[in-house]
Amino acid sequence: MTAPEVAPPDTPRRARSDRTLSGWAFLAPYGLAVAVLIALPALLNVGYAFTDHTGLTRDPQFIGLDNVQRLTSDTFFRDSVEASLFHVAVSVPLRLIAAVGLALLLAAPRPGGRWFRTAVYLPTVIPDVALAVLFLWVLNPLYGPLNQLLGLFGHSGFNWLADPSTARVGVVLMLLFPIGEGFIVVLAARRMLDGRLYEAAALEGCGPFGQLRRLTLPLLAPVLILLAVRDTILTLQVNFVPAYVLTDGRPANATLYLPVYIFDQAFEFSGFAYAALITIVLMVITATIIVAQLLAVRRWRILR
Amino acid sequence: MTQTTRLSAARSGAPPGGRVRESVSGRRPGTRRAVHVLGRFAVPALLAALFAAPLWFMVTGSLRPAGLPPPRTLEILPPEPTLAAYTRLPELMPLFTYLGNSALVVAIAVPVTVVVAGLTGFGIRLLSRTARRRVLVGLLVVLLVPVTAVWATRFEVFRLAGVVDTFIPLLAPALLAVSPFLILLYAWSFGGIPESQLQAARLEGASWLAIWRRLAMPQVRPATLAVAVLAFTFHWANFIDPLLYLHSGDRYTLPLGLQFLRLLNPTDWPLLMAGCVIATLPCAVVFLFAQRILLSDDPLAALRGGRR
Repeated sequence: MTAPEVAPPDTPRRARSDRTLSGWAFLAPYGLAVAVLIALPALLNVGYAFTDHTGLTRDPQFIGLDNVQRLTSDTFFRDSVEASLFHVAVSVPLRLIAAVGLALLLAAPRPGGRWFRTAVYLPTVIPDVALAVLFLWVLNPLYGPLNQLLGLFGHSGFNWLADPSTARVGVVLMLLFPIGEGFIVVLAARRMLDGRLYEAAALEGCGPFGQLRRLTLPLLAPVLILLAVRDTILTLQVNFVPAYVLTDGRPANATLYLPVYIFDQAFEFSGFAYAALITIVLMVITATIIVAQLLAVRRWRILR
Repeated sequence: MTQTTRLSAARSGAPPGGRVRESVSGRRPGTRRAVHVLGRFAVPALLAALFAAPLWFMVTGSLRPAGLPPPRTLEILPPEPTLAAYTRLPELMPLFTYLGNSALVVAIAVPVTVVVAGLTGFGIRLLSRTARRRVLVGLLVVLLVPVTAVWATRFEVFRLAGVVDTFIPLLAPALLAVSPFLILLYAWSFGGIPESQLQAARLEGASWLAIWRRLAMPQVRPATLAVAVLAFTFHWANFIDPLLYLHSGDRYTLPLGLQFLRLLNPTDWPLLMAGCVIATLPCAVVFLFAQRILLSDDPLAALRGGRR
């Protein structure tokens, strides 16, 4: 989002510094919360990763690189990384296309337009757990509406959550519905574009698809990049609840996404320090993907 | 019908595209009209139906009589719909305790979220242009920190503070304004308040806090509504924090209760769907208040109460 447009106040320096100080004072509660609830825990991760802390006792011992050694020979961890990477590779592009496509399609004012948008947003207000339980029902091989829908087309349906590959597809499918945040951001960003540009483009004989390709998408590029990055992070972490409720990492570790494994280690298997190390790995993976995305986009923009 | 469509589009500050697009496509009027109606209404309606479908299956699933054999084809409505699952629900789990706990958490967490987001948004409004840009970049960085990254160690912080198994850790997201997204909503809305108003109030000797409370906040009611609703849906649905921090069954919030119900009766579908409907209903109802702002034709103007 853009910064609010305000002319710099034309006031004496003292008034201005009073104002700046007050501004920072207003930011203080939030800044404090960020420091204690985000920055401090993030730093603690690094400290705990090299100890034998179980999460149950109070005197963790330094054990050097033992956890790293354990990590390199952990097959569950390898499964977990693979599951997460698969999920991000499939889910992020699909969610982005859905959010951007729907927002651009539904942005124009039309009678009842708000209700179309509300329908698209509705799955986003379903609580995570309820959505997961709902998809247990939707994906149920015997009773589930999805297999019955496939039945209408003569397909016998899948045993969704019992088969490793379809279980992953099931999770991706479910997370295609709660896309409301990106949807709203694109709706708002689309309204900020200058209508005159489109009139000029139309006069030049540029059709709807040309306008989409030459105007809308390039102008929205910064927002789309932000959404892609944000969705990568969201996708890497929010698949915890669905996977936890839907499959609990099964079948055959196919949906043992990194957050699920971290949760298991930290809160079920008393491997607190080990979980801290995996968390660091998750952050490194996330950062790598984001940098790759930004580099790819930069190249794409130069080529244009 | 097309005429009224076009009129209302023009009245509400027609979007770039719609009107112009027609004038350039050189097809016959009949076909053009059909394509127009298809593009403007049929396709959106189809997609809207697709997205509303899961909700429909949730409601109809809850109305299915228990113990019915699997349906042979897609059921739009179950045979002999019944509300029996809703009466069985409180018998099988302490539904009202869970609802009460959820309501208590929401009643505290939503106002805290609104105050934190409002204060921070106003602080951003007061800063100079450069400082403001720095804070916005900082917010984007916070937006990009995965919550998973701080799960375990945040738990450790709260454990050392001795507040595990109370509702206090559930307020952590509220102190963080749920998401920088909500702060940005406020920052945008406060940007619509004329500079002259702020300075006049300041010259009259009002403190910045008083200006925030009496002048700024009343002018951004649409933003407050939107933030409150988004905060409500987040806190009501919050599953991870209660899962980590609440251990005693009588403190469970509804999402935890739903998970508990699923473990208890994994195949009683009408019952589970009824639980889902009860968990979803408050969020859906509350969101209907916010959709007229967040999903209006011009959400950014609506947030500022009509000004751009």
